[in-house]
Formats: sequence, C-alpha cells, structure tokens
Amino acid sequence: MANIAVQRIKREFKEVVKSEEVAECHIQVELVNDSFTELKGQIAGPPDTPYEGATFNLEIKIPETYPFNPPKVKFLTAIWHPNISSVTGAICLDILKDQWAAAMTLRTVLLSLQALLAAAEPDDPQDAVVAKQYKENHPIFLKTARHWANIYAGGTIREDDYDNRVIQLKNMGFDPHKARVALSTHNWNVERAMEHILNY
Amino acid sequence: MSGIDMKSQGSDDSDYNNDTDDNMEDEDIYDGYYDAEIGDDEFEKPTEVKDPEAYDYRLLEVEDVERLLNEKIETLCTSLKLSPSLAKVLLYQHNWDTSTIQEKHTKDPNKLLIEAKVMPKTKPLRDMVISRNFSCPVCMCLCPSETVHGLACGHRFCQPCWEQYFQMQLSQGLSSGIECMGNECHVLATEDFVLDNLGKPEMRDKYSRFAFQDYVESHLELRFCPGPNCQVIVRAENPKAKRVICGKCKTSFCFKCGIEYHAPTDCSVIKKWLTKCADDSETANYISAHTKDCPKCHVCIEKNGGCNHLQCVKCKHDFCWMCLGDWKNHGSEYYECSRYKENPNIANESAHAQAREALKKYLFYFERYENHAKSLRLEEETLDKIKTRIEEKVMNNTGTWIDWQYLLDAADLLKKCRYTLQFTYPYAYYLEKGSRKTLFEYQQAQLEAEVENLSWKVERAEITDRGDLENQMDVAEKRRLTLVRDFVTE
Repeated sequence: MANIAVQRIKREFKEVVKSEEVAECHIQVELVNDSFTELKGQIAGPPDTPYEGATFNLEIKIPETYPFNPPKVKFLTAIWHPNISSVTGAICLDILKDQWAAAMTLRTVLLSLQALLAAAEPDDPQDAVVAKQYKENHPIFLKTARHWANIYAGGTIREDDYDNRVIQLKNMGFDPHKARVALSTHNWNVERAMEHILNY
Repeated sequence: MSGIDMKSQGSDDSDYNNDTDDNMEDEDIYDGYYDAEIGDDEFEKPTEVKDPEAYDYRLLEVEDVERLLNEKIETLCTSLKLSPSLAKVLLYQHNWDTSTIQEKHTKDPNKLLIEAKVMPKTKPLRDMVISRNFSCPVCMCLCPSETVHGLACGHRFCQPCWEQYFQMQLSQGLSSGIECMGNECHVLATEDFVLDNLGKPEMRDKYSRFAFQDYVESHLELRFCPGPNCQVIVRAENPKAKRVICGKCKTSFCFKCGIEYHAPTDCSVIKKWLTKCADDSETANYISAHTKDCPKCHVCIEKNGGCNHLQCVKCKHDFCWMCLGDWKNHGSEYYECSRYKENPNIANESAHAQAREALKKYLFYFERYENHAKSLRLEEETLDKIKTRIEEKVMNNTGTWIDWQYLLDAADLLKKCRYTLQFTYPYAYYLEKGSRKTLFEYQQAQLEAEVENLSWKVERAEITDRGDLENQMDVAEKRRLTLVRDFVTE
C-alpha cells in the first residue's frame, strides 16, 4: 500500500478517535487488520429520524490511491433508506464518487453518511423500491424504516403491527428476513408479499 | 495542384478554383497541408447547380494547429491582460470564441472568472499565513512553507501531494478539468500551476498532450481525423455535418460528429440509430439472414453482388431481393420497395401487438440499411470483377483500356449513390408521418430504383452500352443530389 495512504489513515484514525463526535458516541472507527486497508465504521442514527437510537455498522475499504480516490464504503447493517440498497448495503452518495476531494477524511465521510440518514435524496435513489415508497407512501416508509432499525440496528421503537405480520408469515414457514423484505416492498400487504415470495 | 480541398468544384469558392495549378506561390502558402483531393470528380457537374455536399475544409498538422491556437491565446492575453494559462481555460470553455469572452469580460470580469471556475465563488481564504509548522490537509504531514502551494481559492497543499494528485488525474484521462483538492472546491488547476508541480518530464508531456486534445475537441472549427493513429486535424471555418476526407489515411467522416458520413440523416439521429442497431443487432442479425429463396423455384440464393435486382440462375426469374416481388413491377412503374407500410389499426391493438409492430418497423428499416451496407461491401468485389473483365476485353481486342474507363467511373458513382441510399433509412425511420415523409419516401424510392438499375447495368455492361450507362449514371446522381438538397438540414 502506498506510503501516503497508510500515513493518512494512521493520522485520520487518531483524529477520529480524539474527535468530540466520538466522545458523544456519534461516530466510531475500528481497525480490522494491521495493514490499514480495511476499517470498520459505526454511525448512530440521527435524532428525530426513524433511525434514532439505532447503530449502523459500515465496511470501509481504503484503496491504494487514497486519499486521491475515495474510500469504498457500504452498510453492513441492513437499513431501509432510499439512497442505500436494502439488499447489498451499497451507498449512493456524491462524495463517495465524483465529488470526493483529497482533503476529505473518514470523519467527514461518516458525518456525511449520518447527514444522509437525516436527509434522504429520493430523486437520486440507490434502492428504487424504497425511494418509491418514500415519495408515494411516506407514513409507511417511516414506519418501515423504524421497524428495520429496531430489528437490525438496535433501534428502540417497535412497530408491533409490522412485527406481527412478519411473525404471521414466519409461522407459515417463510424465512423472516425474506418475509420482511417482501412485506416492506409491498407496503405490508400480506397477500401480495406472499405472492412475491412464492413467485421469486 | 493547390493543397486546399477542391471537392467543392462548381460552387461558390470559385476564387480558389481560379488558382492555376502551376502557380508556385500557391504551393508555398499552403505548404504543410495535405492534399485532400478525392477521386470523385467523375463527371462534369452542371455549373449552375450548387453541389449540396460541397464543403470547404483544410487538413492541418499538429504544429499548424498549435500555431493557430497560440495566436488566439496571445490575442486574448493582450486584450484582457490575462496570463496565457487563464486565457487557455477561458478559450477552452467558450469553444475558442474570443468575442463571447470579450463581451462577458466587459460586462463583469469577475463573473467571467468565477463562471470559468478559475476564481472561487466565495471570497478566497486570502493571505492565509503559512506558519513554519503547516500541516498539509492531504498527507497530514508538517511541510516546509516553500513547498506549500495553492490556487486562487486559497486551499494550500504541499507539492508532493499536488504532484501525486495530478498524476492520478492524468492516469484517469483528465487534464483541463482537474479541480482543486479542497473540500467542495471546484476551482480549476491552470496549466502553469499543473506544470510547475509536475516534476517528471514524461508527466508534463502527457499533460500537454491531453490538454491539446481537449483544446482541439472544444474548438468548433477543428476535428481530429478519427482514422487509427492519424494525427491529421481538419479545420472547417463553417462547421457543418458535411463529409470530409483525410488526405493521409483516406478516412471519410462527418465533420460535425466525427463518425462515418451520414447524409441525409443528421448527427443526433444517426447516433440514436447506431445505438439502436447495436442494442438490437442480435435479433436483427438473426432475422435478416444472409440467404433467401427464389420466390419462383425456391432455390436457395446467396447474394454475391451489390444489385438488388436478382435473376435466379436456375429458373431465370427476375425478382427484387428486398421484397422478393417480381422485378417487372419495379422498373417501369412506381418503385415502393423502400417504403414501410404501417398497419393502420395499430392504435387499437394490444401492447404486445404494438411491440411486435415496432420491432417489425425497425427490422424493415434495419434490413434495408444493412442490405445497402452489405451491397457496398460487395461493390468492392464488383469493382475487382470489373477490372478483370476490362483486362480480358482489352486483351481480346474488344475496345481499348480508355474505352472501358467509363465503367470504373460508373462503379465509383454507384458506390456514392448507394452510400447515400443506405443513410436514407435511419432518416426515414425517425421521420414523423406526414407529407414530408411521403415526399422523402418518394424520392428515396426513385433513387433506389435508379441505383438498382445502375447496379444491374454496371455488372453486365458491354462496350456498346456506354451511352446507356452514362445516361443512367446521370439520372442516378441527379436523383441523389435532389434528395440531399431537399432533405439535408444545414
């Protein structure tokens, strides 16, 4: 790995660890291996959003050409958000692509991701299904996002009626995650969700 | 012969035509330009009719273009009192249109520089004192102040970081568009700044080469010859979608878009068409197979010449390769094999039927487009055959070499007509239904009929047919010119 990349990550790592956001438990970075090519990030769901109280894990891969090219970041924790794939965790964020600048740091990336959770951009979606729901059925979107945050990311607010519908499908022998995806995709209509699973 | 392209004979540039070939001064003036003369001055065009495909252009070498661009840069530098690097950015962004830049400059010089992204939108971080222990935001190292540089925005970074950054951008093919490394900063790195921070000569060279490419591509009057490894640059002071031919590698292309010449279809339509063809080629290739059965005796026939008027070797039945109809109905009466007949009740049909109809329509046009392209390729073989035939005839004392020359001219003209005909199909495909389309398809049909006649005659001509064939050539070319004149939009 290029000298400058390692040097940068080492210093950035210190920077994040020292920063006040870490002190307030908003963001966190951990090393995965000794070569500094891969890190694990963590961001807290911002207040007044469906993600409040939840914690999301991120995979951060540092390219050879860092910091001249952006780090590769994706969500490890499943999340229901228009700009993040509910299947792969891939993120659609301009600063992780063409708007990256060498002077940006892991700290700015994590804070930007947190800001993305607070302000989605449904017109530039990564997950078209979620984006459609966000625009056309916003109350259902909020509840679904809260439900996912509760199930996968330790969010504190439960959506009992959604839990019940997942259990209903689970008791029929369906995989609970698949059931949740199908229900979320079909605005929690049980019949259509079942049809979806059976046809897939 | 002067180096200027003289393709446009008989048109408005008669002052060039008046230059005599033995004018030696003329040679000197245009020294270094390639001879763009092409061998299609096959017959006398009537002087009163303007050739719709005539085009005035020159072929330049890299040094000529560099000189041309430098002159523009110097003029702008002196008139606006700017550095050459800034002038280059402005010219590049304004397609080398000096008058627009000057106009904007008189209105608001600051706005011009901000819009050109050489000055930041907000007030620059002026006079940022670079202390002894300046930490570069990219490498996060303490750097001696003499190695720290920045652009007009005031973002400072150390030279090794700038150098690595520029190298990285160059490896991604960027040159004129490289921005500052600062957060959300879009100020462009000017040429002098980049070159000052690039140490390796090969990198500086690479930057200059890339930048030159950008400059030529942004200049509306210039276009690189698309031929492989060809360094020629075409200059046309009146940029249009016209045919230009490189004198060095003989590539023929449209000046405006750089792909193969495509009149009467215009640049945006041909692009759409070629993309569509690339997407749909699998189906289309499958459907338009290479062989067809004789409609009368059903023997399998592979087309081996360009002509669409086929005669079955077995049963001597004359038929049209396109529609498989009797050729007798084609020649004398109205030729309509080029016209697609839309199903009139389509609006009432199901989506599935509409999709099928859309595919049918596309295939109709694609088949004809592709068929002419194939015919053109076969026409090359026909030319070889003609040459051998002429040789045989001359050896057998049937006329002299000169007597047979007309056949080569005819083959050349046939190629030209068929080429235009090929590109009438994308045009027709995208043309809205209406009287203009009807007129277009009428002219297209007329041209197609004459081209097929010519093709038939060329393949079978004897020495006694010369008058007849020349007549046919004249008719075909007139049809072609009429169509181009009526439908090529400037």
